Amino acid sequence: MSAALARILWPIRWALTIALVLGALAFAPAVSRTTIDNDLTSWFSPDAPVYQQYERFREEFGGTRTLIVALVAPSRDALFTREAFDAIDRISNAIDRVETVERVSSLSTATVVDALPVDAEGIGGIEVRPLIDDVDAKGAVAAAERALDDALLRGDLISEDGTVAAVIVSFDEARIDAVRGGVIDRIHAIVDAELPDGFEAFYNGSLEISETYNRITVQNQTKFTPPILLLTLGAVYVMFRSARKTALTLAAILVSVLWTLGLYSLLGFGFNVLSSMILPLVVVLALADDVHIVQHFDHAIRDGASSKEAFHRAITHLAAPLFGASATTALGMLSLATSEVVAVRTFGIGAAIGVMVDFAVSIVFVPTLLAWMRPESTQPPQERWFLGPLTRVAAFSTSHPRAILGTALAIALMAAAGVTRLQVDTNHIAFFSRTHPLGQSATVIDGKLGGVYGFQIMLEGEPGSMQQPDTLRRMDQLAERIAAFPEVRKVTTLADYVKRINRELEGRGEAGAVIPETPETIAQELFVFTLADEGRHELSRVVSSDASAAQISIKLQAMSSDRLFDYVADVERFAVETFAATGITTTVTGSGKLFAELDHYLVTSQITSFATAFVTVFGVIFIVFRSWRYGLLAIIPNLFPVLAVFGVMGWLDISLNIATVMVASVALGIVDDDTIHFISRFRLERRRGVTVPQAIHAATIHEGRAALTTALINSAGFAVLMMSEYKPSAWFGGMLALTMVVAFLAEVFILPATIVLWSRLFGQQGGTPRPAEAVT
Amino acid sequence: MTLVDRRGRTRERALVITGLRGGPGRPVPGDRSLVRFTAPADIRGTGFLVWEHRDADDERFLYLPALGRVRRIAGSEAQESFVGSDFTYEDIGGRELDDYTYRLLDEDAVWEAPDGTRHPAWRLESTSRDANARFTRIVSLVRKDVPIAVHAAIFNRRGEQQKTFDARKIERIDGVWTVTEMTMTDALEGTRTDLRVDKAEYGVGLRPDDFSRVQLERGIR
Repeated sequence: MSAALARILWPIRWALTIALVLGALAFAPAVSRTTIDNDLTSWFSPDAPVYQQYERFREEFGGTRTLIVALVAPSRDALFTREAFDAIDRISNAIDRVETVERVSSLSTATVVDALPVDAEGIGGIEVRPLIDDVDAKGAVAAAERALDDALLRGDLISEDGTVAAVIVSFDEARIDAVRGGVIDRIHAIVDAELPDGFEAFYNGSLEISETYNRITVQNQTKFTPPILLLTLGAVYVMFRSARKTALTLAAILVSVLWTLGLYSLLGFGFNVLSSMILPLVVVLALADDVHIVQHFDHAIRDGASSKEAFHRAITHLAAPLFGASATTALGMLSLATSEVVAVRTFGIGAAIGVMVDFAVSIVFVPTLLAWMRPESTQPPQERWFLGPLTRVAAFSTSHPRAILGTALAIALMAAAGVTRLQVDTNHIAFFSRTHPLGQSATVIDGKLGGVYGFQIMLEGEPGSMQQPDTLRRMDQLAERIAAFPEVRKVTTLADYVKRINRELEGRGEAGAVIPETPETIAQELFVFTLADEGRHELSRVVSSDASAAQISIKLQAMSSDRLFDYVADVERFAVETFAATGITTTVTGSGKLFAELDHYLVTSQITSFATAFVTVFGVIFIVFRSWRYGLLAIIPNLFPVLAVFGVMGWLDISLNIATVMVASVALGIVDDDTIHFISRFRLERRRGVTVPQAIHAATIHEGRAALTTALINSAGFAVLMMSEYKPSAWFGGMLALTMVVAFLAEVFILPATIVLWSRLFGQQGGTPRPAEAVT
Repeated sequence: MTLVDRRGRTRERALVITGLRGGPGRPVPGDRSLVRFTAPADIRGTGFLVWEHRDADDERFLYLPALGRVRRIAGSEAQESFVGSDFTYEDIGGRELDDYTYRLLDEDAVWEAPDGTRHPAWRLESTSRDANARFTRIVSLVRKDVPIAVHAAIFNRRGEQQKTFDARKIERIDGVWTVTEMTMTDALEGTRTDLRVDKAEYGVGLRPDDFSRVQLERGIR
């Protein structure tokens, strides 16, 4: 069938090649228009229940994705000054004027509730007033102390030690994502311009994290792609010592990349942290495919074949294994297309497209240009370099199969022990070094303020139900239970507001900070709060206008998303227990929950996808070789690198997160490719009648060489990623390099040793060679 | 008063507003007003008394029947929400002329009433003298035949049109042109308040005592 394909391709090779090049050129402008988007809508389908819950919450209480600005004063005294309050006021006012800003919470906008002294006629009073008014009336020190005295402000807008003030910005979430980068830059500029001497500003919150991710996505594409390409091409040149082949490889990779990104954007998909991994995947696999083609073509030319014969031989020999390897990887990726998470779905489709584009380019574009170019009969230096070592490797692997498999088993056991230490964990803040602005701000906000993470509980019942004393008491109980978690920084409920007003209205000090006995009292006290605009707005974010819904806000320090995922599950259970048989339903939602679920789902879906791809490999190998034995044989060299890499990650305390989990899929794409090529060559040699050791020798020096060449070139290129300030990218680069090396070792040591040790099972001659194979 | 929240839920509030004009030669130095809620049940009887002063902060008193006592409330700004609605105190009680500068934008504007009739109007721009005011600019349509603002586009500090006022029904009561049905919509908050005046009386002989704290504490009889 491969020979037939070669015959079909030869007369139309130029038409197809020109079509590929023109298509790539046509896609080039579309690629530059591809949007970078790490927003909620790029991750969640609008139909996903978790997203709909969040939308329902957002509609009721506004968005929870905030920008937190921590203003760190050089001392408590420096914050307790008019200058500091004035700066916070100017910053808050200026931010409030920025488009899409819905609300600014700060010491400038905060509301306090105070009892008024009894007048001559014996009438006491209550005052719901902006805290900032106290600066004029009582002085900055009194205003700051008043803020510290308020449980709702302390630890949220001002740190307990009085050295850090927060400005928390909420946005109109329907509009912010379209203009987010510019809005955040504008806010940074406002704060920087107004910051008093000696103060420092730190930025965090889910919007700042999203924006940082956008920048990293762009950085991954723009900063690292050129050096990766440069080093890769440098390595290609060193290996082949041919400017033409280097240029050809570059052209082939570019065509693959343009087609992949072009088709991706044509489908309307945007780019995010996950899909930015498509590019390295395409480059790695393109290179692996192209190196195989170039080596086979060269080999045929040096055997005296004409360009046409070399074209036929390369396609005949490689079409099936290349297709098999590509199809398995693509199917694995395509299994993600059913995901509920939009980003996973688009990544799966994009990666599958990329893998198959790589295949098409490598069997059409590369051999066509090789056949067109002046033949180079000189042996590439890498063939000389690798021939001796690979010959010795082949001799060793066929003569010491037990030692090899014993060593492999020992390594596998150590790796398995490492795997047991492997944490499935995505901690977005820990992905950055402590000196990165996001890491620094998390340290400040987690240590001094309400924490950078948060989620909410939405309570829903009959109109008026949230103003019932029993409901408020249950809110209080639930808050107390949640606050016992070590990472929880603050829990705020409607009950806190009611207690605050009641304390001031009753005039009994802390003794009055209780929930009133009657719903009428509660309704009237909340009504008092709405008499001031700030109070009205503040309350509208806590309880619905008809008191049929309320929210409980939980603020946390940065933590692993899996731990957060477990927290959320515990809180969901607590909430259900607390409001059992009350007619009030509880829904845990908010950006913290969304991202925890997302990260958890991303990792689990990738593992599932990998498992699917892994199983598919054997199906495809069975189809390619029409043999269950070889499907079985492929398990060992495919499993070993993945096990080894995950084991190393376990021992190095590198978590399985949204980035590193991708290594498994890429590893499989490379490893199964190598395995298929090796087995294909081995079988061919056996059909020619050579012995098992001879067949292994031929497969090792021919296919092992391609694997080694690919491993060295890709390792050189992707080692660049290890310099990324974003740890997952660095881990991805490092683990990918490791995978390439381990995959190569598995192919030239473990696979041959397995064949030799069970030669009765795997070493069969397999009949006479088919005509297509006989010409190679 | 019907308050419509951002999810379209409505709450009805019924209230009685009484007012006494103040000023030189009048029984009280500044305007006085008393708002008493008669519905819904949970805030029925809640009263809100305002004593305006020309040269000092206004005094505000609140009576909560659940507590049975009068409490003083620290002053609210003119542009703050009127009892939790989309109207401001300024919208209900009228604004201080000197707080704004004015510019006539169009002498030949037309206002189309809800019943489809068209009325000649002036288009007037009012700009707040206070740059930090919540609403810095108002573009109003004032009917030429009836000296009443019948429509207003109200802009916030960002220059966005946040609120829109529309008079729905105008009646002449006791010789005074009165808007008896009106709507204030807040596009950013997604809320709306409809205010319908069931009964309006002028010159009914109210005295300063009717606006005392004792009167406030009496609640609904």
